[in-house]
Amino acid sequence: MAHRVVIVGGGAAGMQTALELKSRGIEPVIVERDIELGGKARGWYKLFPSFTPAGDVMRPLAERVKRERIRCFYGQEVTEFAPDGVILRSGERIPADAVVVATGFTLFDAHRKQEYGYGLYDNVLTSVDLERMMNSGAVTLADGSMPRRIAILHCVGSRDEKVCQKHCSKVCCITGVKQAIELKQMFPEADIFNFYMDIRMFGPGYEELYREAQERHNIHFVRGRISEAAETINKRIQIKAEDTLTGRPLRMTVDMLVLLVGMSANYENAELAKRAGLELSPNGFFRTVDSFLGAVRSQREGIFFAGAATAPKSLADTLAEASLTASAVDEYLKNSFNK
Amino acid sequence: MTFFAPFTIPFIVGTIFLFVAVATKWILWIARLPKVDRRLIAHNFFSLGTLAAIWEVVRESLLHAKIFRRNPLLGFMHMSLAFGWFLLIVVGWIETIVYLGFEMIPLQGHVFFKYFMPLNGIEAHIPLFEQLMDALLLLVLTGVALAWFKRIASKAMGMRRATKHVLFDRIALSALWFIFPARLVAESLTAALYGGNGFLTGTLGGFIGELLPTEVLTTLYEPAWWFYSSALGLFFVAMPFSRYMHIFTEIPLIFLRRWRLRPTLERKSYDNFEVEACSRCGICIDPCQLQEDLGIHDTQSVYFLRDRRYNMLSLKVANNCLMCGRCEAVCPVGINLTTLRINSRAKRRNIPHEGRYRYLTSLDRSSGEGKVGYFAGCMSSLTPAVQHSMERIFEAVGEAVWYADKDGGVCCGRPLMLSGETDAARKMVAYNTDLFRRHEITTLVTSCPICLRSFRENYHLDGIEVLHHSQYLDRLIAEGRLSVKQGEESYSYHDPCELGRGSEVYDEPRRVIEAVGELREPRHSRRDALCCGSSLANTVIGDEQQLRIARRMTRELEETAADAIVTACPLCHKAIARSTHHTVVDIAEVVARNIAE
Ligand code: SF4
Ligand code: SF4
Ligand code: SF4
Repeated sequence: MAHRVVIVGGGAAGMQTALELKSRGIEPVIVERDIELGGKARGWYKLFPSFTPAGDVMRPLAERVKRERIRCFYGQEVTEFAPDGVILRSGERIPADAVVVATGFTLFDAHRKQEYGYGLYDNVLTSVDLERMMNSGAVTLADGSMPRRIAILHCVGSRDEKVCQKHCSKVCCITGVKQAIELKQMFPEADIFNFYMDIRMFGPGYEELYREAQERHNIHFVRGRISEAAETINKRIQIKAEDTLTGRPLRMTVDMLVLLVGMSANYENAELAKRAGLELSPNGFFRTVDSFLGAVRSQREGIFFAGAATAPKSLADTLAEASLTASAVDEYLKNSFNK
Repeated sequence: MTFFAPFTIPFIVGTIFLFVAVATKWILWIARLPKVDRRLIAHNFFSLGTLAAIWEVVRESLLHAKIFRRNPLLGFMHMSLAFGWFLLIVVGWIETIVYLGFEMIPLQGHVFFKYFMPLNGIEAHIPLFEQLMDALLLLVLTGVALAWFKRIASKAMGMRRATKHVLFDRIALSALWFIFPARLVAESLTAALYGGNGFLTGTLGGFIGELLPTEVLTTLYEPAWWFYSSALGLFFVAMPFSRYMHIFTEIPLIFLRRWRLRPTLERKSYDNFEVEACSRCGICIDPCQLQEDLGIHDTQSVYFLRDRRYNMLSLKVANNCLMCGRCEAVCPVGINLTTLRINSRAKRRNIPHEGRYRYLTSLDRSSGEGKVGYFAGCMSSLTPAVQHSMERIFEAVGEAVWYADKDGGVCCGRPLMLSGETDAARKMVAYNTDLFRRHEITTLVTSCPICLRSFRENYHLDGIEVLHHSQYLDRLIAEGRLSVKQGEESYSYHDPCELGRGSEVYDEPRRVIEAVGELREPRHSRRDALCCGSSLANTVIGDEQQLRIARRMTRELEETAADAIVTACPLCHKAIARSTHHTVVDIAEVVARNIAE
């Protein structure tokens, strides 16, 4: 009989791991909290740095999961996991020979940086809202008009001790560059300003895209964090920042403010880790054995990780890591059960 | 009779030393008082305040009523030592006078009366005195026993931590512990040799008399009195340098305070009275969250005052304080701990360059017009929902409002004051005062308790009523100008330090919440409320530590299981919001959401 592996989470990491396990003759079971597969990448518009439509990556994955007849539980939350299975909120237990935690991350709640006025001012949105708008085909201001000046703010809920998020979320810089270009293409007349602390262009093609944004698209990059935003009478947003390159305070009025929200650890991680006897990293993500050969293994045999459950990751990195997870699980099952 | 014996020398020397030392201190402190303070004394000397002070001295310095209220056992300990000893002196005095008339009897004659006048030397002996003196001695001895007990088991007296003492305190304390047992032994021996009927010394004397042969008793007799006298002498010598100086400082302090002297943002001679009035009772240690949450044990008010008194105050100790006022709220002596802390910092302040604030001269970013001024405060620009809500409320009641800082204003100055930069702060105070005057407002509403406190304490805004927005909202609702819907939601309220303990505003926010929903109280609330940890006053602890303080405080709010956590300070709001997943709102938001259409 095939070994059974329960995968907690049906996002990109979970689906890819499941498919890899299946191809190795192992029986994967996905438990997804939502009512469908896809996770955070669902509803995303285009992927950096190549502007590949997100659907082109996510759709085939979901279709293959269906085609391979991988068993999925939907709308079910895992409240506890151990190497021999998981327990659902309903109390039901799914036994397994190994467990993969692919629970991903939580988007930083922009309301928590109240000084940027998210939820308070109509024309302040998050990078995620912007993707949704682009997906639906209509990016406009709240009154339906077109923005002429846009500010994009990096590191919202990342690298910010004041909201207890010290880590860098890794993908938002390149997302900011990507969205700036997309906005510029949509509104060629508009002025676009990216406010950043550092620009982190770690991936292949990223730095090139960043140059292109400046040279070809004339996007302005201002080094400095916005300190606060306020709404003017005509619903524009007045921002205050310091341009740290020129060392001057700066005030500017824009039509739209996009907040590049970071990746936070899931709130539930603490409880799940405690029950499973695992440790978390200081930033609340799951801790792996190390970041080299043990990058997908937990401190407990039989519990594995895939994707952003352990740290902020891009979609590309997540997919690559999922294959690694599958092979680690395979090796573990062979060693422990087929002696 | 000469009333002299060699054993009295330590006592006499000690007493003279004590007298000279205390008198010198008092004279110096008073002579150095600034003119304003001396004028206050002259002005209020013949006033009801003086009578009130006398009564307060009895109540606090002798009976220790405040400590009693806090913990009866602890109160009894302090009372039996102070009041018991006081009565011993007074009754002893009367006793000598009754027996010997109003003759000039030297001090040691009163104190060592039993030695000079043992029972068989008195003809018309009055037993009542003997019993009374024994009863008082027993009272004091109980106090001493309790003091011992407190050292080993401070918890039983409602104190988790007792003070760590300096050398002089230890000398004085050890001497103090020996004084009364020594007196008991000396008087009992006297009773054994020369007779005595007191229920304590008499009985004990009779017992010893039977147990020991007379030779032994006579050999022990003089040394026992020597020991008693030496303990007293040693105590008196150590006293002016130890915490026991508080006995002679609290009394003038009570008078000066009744004559309206107060510490200010800058040091002055009056501070000496406050600093040395600290008995190092240690009551202020337990409430300090730096101690409880962070394990910092050297910065609490008792240690701060101690260090300042002995001139060994480090910047770190002066700065490591949230100025939450939790210690001040329980201090039985009523020392102005926050102000003293501020003026310790101010000692090292920078004198700003004149040109530095020149930009203030022509600055006016205010908008709108009305008799009511609204000053959101710099911190409120980080929580814009507060401003928004206030604007909606002003609109709903049709208030004509002048917005002082909607488009950015000048800081109220308190953050600078808290870090001791009083000169720089004065520039802000002058600027804002002028701004308010120029726009002729009669009411000033602020959303920030930090600003509220500085407007009230550090500004002279006569003719302008200063209100926190919770007070203003309470008034609008009470007067029927603003109608709100009573909803189902429950709210647990966090008292901001500067609003509660700092400005004594407790009821208004609660009434406002009750007008729109159900109010729930966390375990510590009102005067006892915990600090959120994000105080601007502490420049020593780091972000992680602030967070630890906030987490414990927030947990108590969460435990009420209310639908939302409500506070009334932008700084507290930020601190709570980052340590919980529950909804956190300002009181203005709660009201704005519940305006009845
Ligand atoms: S990737 Fe860029 S925007 Fe995102 S947290 Fe890191 S530095 Fe900030
Ligand atoms: S400051 Fe007040 S509470 Fe603290 S030790 Fe001194 S007298 Fe006691
Ligand atoms: S004001 Fe607060 S933080 Fe400072 S010593 Fe007192 S209790 Fe501790």
